Amino acid sequence: MRGNSILRIVGGRVYDPANGVDGVVRDLCICDGKIVADVEAGRTIDATGMVVFPGGVDVHTHVAGAALNFARAMIPEDHRRNLAFVRDRIRHGGIGGSTPTTYITGYLYAGQGYTTVNEAAVPILTARHTHEELRDTPIIDKSTCVLMANNEIVLDLLEAGEYERAKEVVGWSIWAAKAYGVKAVNPGGVTAWKWGKDVKGFREPVPGYSKVTPADIVSSLAKIVDELRLPHAVHLHCNNLGAPGNVATTLETMKALEGSRAHLAHLQYHAYGGDDWTNFRSESVRIAEEFNRNPNLTTDAGAVLFGNTVTITADGPWQHLLHKLTGRKWGNIDVENETGCGVVPYVYKEKNLVNAVQWAVGLELLLLIDDPWRIYLTTDHPNGAAFWRYPEIIRLLMDLDFRREQIRKLAPAALNRIFLPELNRCYTLYEIAIITSAGPARALGLANKGNLGVGADADVAVFNNDKDAAKMFSYPRYVIKGGEIVIEEGEIRNTVEGKGLLVRPHYDPSVEDFIRPLFEKHYTMSFDNYPVELERVEHAEVRPCN
Amino acid sequence: MGGKVTCTLGEVKNRADLVIYWGGNPAECHPRHFTKYALMPKGKFVPNGRKDRTMILVDIRETPSAKAADIFLQIKPTKDFEMITVLRAIIKEQPVDPAIVAEIGLSLEQLRDLADRMKKAKFGVMFFGMGLSMTRGKHMNSAALLTLAAELNAFTKFVAMPMRGHGNVTGGDVIMRWMTGYPFGVNLARGYPRFNPGEFSTIDMLIRGDCDAALILGADPGATMPQPAIDHLARVPTITLDPKVTHTSRISRVHITTAVTGISAPGTAYRMDEIPLPLRPALKSPYPTDEEVLRRIRQKIACKPLQLPPTVPMMTDAE
Amino acid sequence: MELTITKNATCTFCGCVCDDIELHSDGERITHTKAACVLGASWFKNHTAEHLYPDALIDGKPATVDEAIELAADILYDADMPLIYGLSNITCEAQRESVGLAEMVGGIIDSHTSL
Repeated sequence: MRGNSILRIVGGRVYDPANGVDGVVRDLCICDGKIVADVEAGRTIDATGMVVFPGGVDVHTHVAGAALNFARAMIPEDHRRNLAFVRDRIRHGGIGGSTPTTYITGYLYAGQGYTTVNEAAVPILTARHTHEELRDTPIIDKSTCVLMANNEIVLDLLEAGEYERAKEVVGWSIWAAKAYGVKAVNPGGVTAWKWGKDVKGFREPVPGYSKVTPADIVSSLAKIVDELRLPHAVHLHCNNLGAPGNVATTLETMKALEGSRAHLAHLQYHAYGGDDWTNFRSESVRIAEEFNRNPNLTTDAGAVLFGNTVTITADGPWQHLLHKLTGRKWGNIDVENETGCGVVPYVYKEKNLVNAVQWAVGLELLLLIDDPWRIYLTTDHPNGAAFWRYPEIIRLLMDLDFRREQIRKLAPAALNRIFLPELNRCYTLYEIAIITSAGPARALGLANKGNLGVGADADVAVFNNDKDAAKMFSYPRYVIKGGEIVIEEGEIRNTVEGKGLLVRPHYDPSVEDFIRPLFEKHYTMSFDNYPVELERVEHAEVRPCN
Repeated sequence: MGGKVTCTLGEVKNRADLVIYWGGNPAECHPRHFTKYALMPKGKFVPNGRKDRTMILVDIRETPSAKAADIFLQIKPTKDFEMITVLRAIIKEQPVDPAIVAEIGLSLEQLRDLADRMKKAKFGVMFFGMGLSMTRGKHMNSAALLTLAAELNAFTKFVAMPMRGHGNVTGGDVIMRWMTGYPFGVNLARGYPRFNPGEFSTIDMLIRGDCDAALILGADPGATMPQPAIDHLARVPTITLDPKVTHTSRISRVHITTAVTGISAPGTAYRMDEIPLPLRPALKSPYPTDEEVLRRIRQKIACKPLQLPPTVPMMTDAE
Repeated sequence: MELTITKNATCTFCGCVCDDIELHSDGERITHTKAACVLGASWFKNHTAEHLYPDALIDGKPATVDEAIELAADILYDADMPLIYGLSNITCEAQRESVGLAEMVGGIIDSHTSL
């Protein structure tokens, strides 16, 4: 947790975009887990010739909870294919791969300089489980987003035009789940999936409802999150994920937000043209243009890398389609009255046209969206690739020759469906520090993260300045979490425990009198056993809403 | 095929209009499964409760659960796999061998009727019990049934769920998955988890004599396992933690009495659909909890010289 | 003794794990259950807070918990391939400790699921 170490990191080239510091050689002082102006005693780390970043922040990942844990059981072949971690004096043993075990998740994130992650999909009903897993995920700080866009109590209220009460229910639910933000996955679509259907149009009623549409759900939740003053905007997985021609839905969604804040998750999966799989193509240019015009929006890439992975999402209908397309094994759990989840193992192949387009779109969005403060590096772990492959993406962004070499490996027919070959932009280290740390920290409303100013959490990553960016960002020389050195010379030296970040929004407690009878009618557990007690969240830190 | 298409029990309560129990006897083994979760309750989309649902029981004998069924399909023992396979064929409109139908002990009409009801259901569910998963074919039967449920989604909404017994057995699966990546039978001898059912599963380990000590808790294998397995437990130093002195305690070197889960020991337990529930003990036990005893054993071991796996690279190929 | 009432208690007898049980206890035993099924009711009534069994046994003879823990630690530590088995009727918290212990002593961890 909070370290008592006193440290001075000297001689490093510091990248601290939140404070406009762009590669300036300066000392960094740490005391009591915070960045301070100066220290007198303590240990000195010589970072001469090295690069100093604020600790990485992952705005969108799936590292814990019922769905991910369901996937773990489904893919023993993946566990065998990947590296295993052997127990030693400091570390637990475990499994790496697409769905690392909890301890290993913490080690792998810290092992590439990341110190904060946002678990992006938590049902209230199994939030207790998610927090148990996060407790066993060491080193990193963790926040969670609670799934709301297919919650039938909320949808029924929106159908009845009871917006204010819906807001109270959302506020209550966030606290019940001990969550930090609100997630919307395929608004209305997962509810429709409960009957084996999906939503049809963005402005057509959700199957089973006569009025409420995906557009209503999106705009209402965005407004609710703003009015509850949550530090993080509504975290939105748009309708029609993965489908050819879904660019139209994504553009409509941006419009429906009407200026409300929103974070569009894994935008890569929502930027496709064509009518079917045969004429599937990139629409990153149109998406990026519209996105650039809407300063209320942030996004993350959801980039894809070639290779084996497993797809996990609350988007049940999409997963059924993916299972039918690939013939791979399929897991599905529908969660009563709240959400669903699907799991399908997947392999992205360079020679597959659709996969080649997906790979290009992720990079294109990162290159075409002009403000790095609004797009962040993610793979929608593990959907596009495992998070421990982020350094490969950084290299693709920074190294034009390398990127061109990779483009040459694609199926030639893919080249006229993508824009990537024409894009020459290369990221600077300063911009990498934004998309991996300063930007996502700002989007999450975590003022003490993603920056190295005095008073910030002492979460710091020190890298060798290597020409090969993939190598550089895969093996930090030092990682400091909350003022404690956790990685030194590429080895884990200390496995501190991370914090659980959450919020307690303002809501009228009497909303419980409204929820209780509905709950007793439609759920199968006792209402009093439903909310997660605060003490179940390890090292909980309740962040302000203002 | 692999995988599992399932849901939490509330989805069944609110939506299921076709409820199939296969190789299980909930009336006697899970008495509230009918009344609280799956059959009797009024649900959001089945407002008349039992009247809105059709219940079908598939079993090799007429158990008390048959009284609750609209249709009872009595099949010949060990023919579950054949029946599931024939259903998969009928559903896909494939030809069916009458000789195999005859082996199952049902008429083709009965099987066609069942397949038809499955396809026409708005929301169908199959709960399967040990009569399916612990008889000839074992996990092959479960896999076939899960595949049938998955395939039915080409026509309608269909899910399947095992009727887990043994209290918190589900919690064990869930926790092993997040800590080791595998749900049971995990070998940690090399310092990282390895999984191989049939090699690292308990009965196989014991019968081969492959373990040289045992800690038994939350189970009484001394009463239930094959004799050669029990003999090996008696041969090696065995430690038993249990609220009572059990058959296993009597063949153990060490027995420690512990508080009773949920009655005098607090914590969490998972329901069969993997929903975690808090425990609210009503009594205060004179004995320590399992959790406390285990923690103290770990503390004792932590004081001894560290034992590490023979070679300690940071990472290794999992194979 | 004073009667206490515990609401929304959770029954771990079978896999249904019903969490809507009301338990009345006199401090020593559960005298009455509401909402429990026949199996659950007898499960709750069968376990008491009485000291009916010895705290611990070593080779069949009464021992203290401290002695038993000491010996258990020695046995597991000295073993080359210890087996930890069961895990069904214990809490998740105890299951988590069991997995941690199995890792510590380099053994096998397994549950009823493998049967």
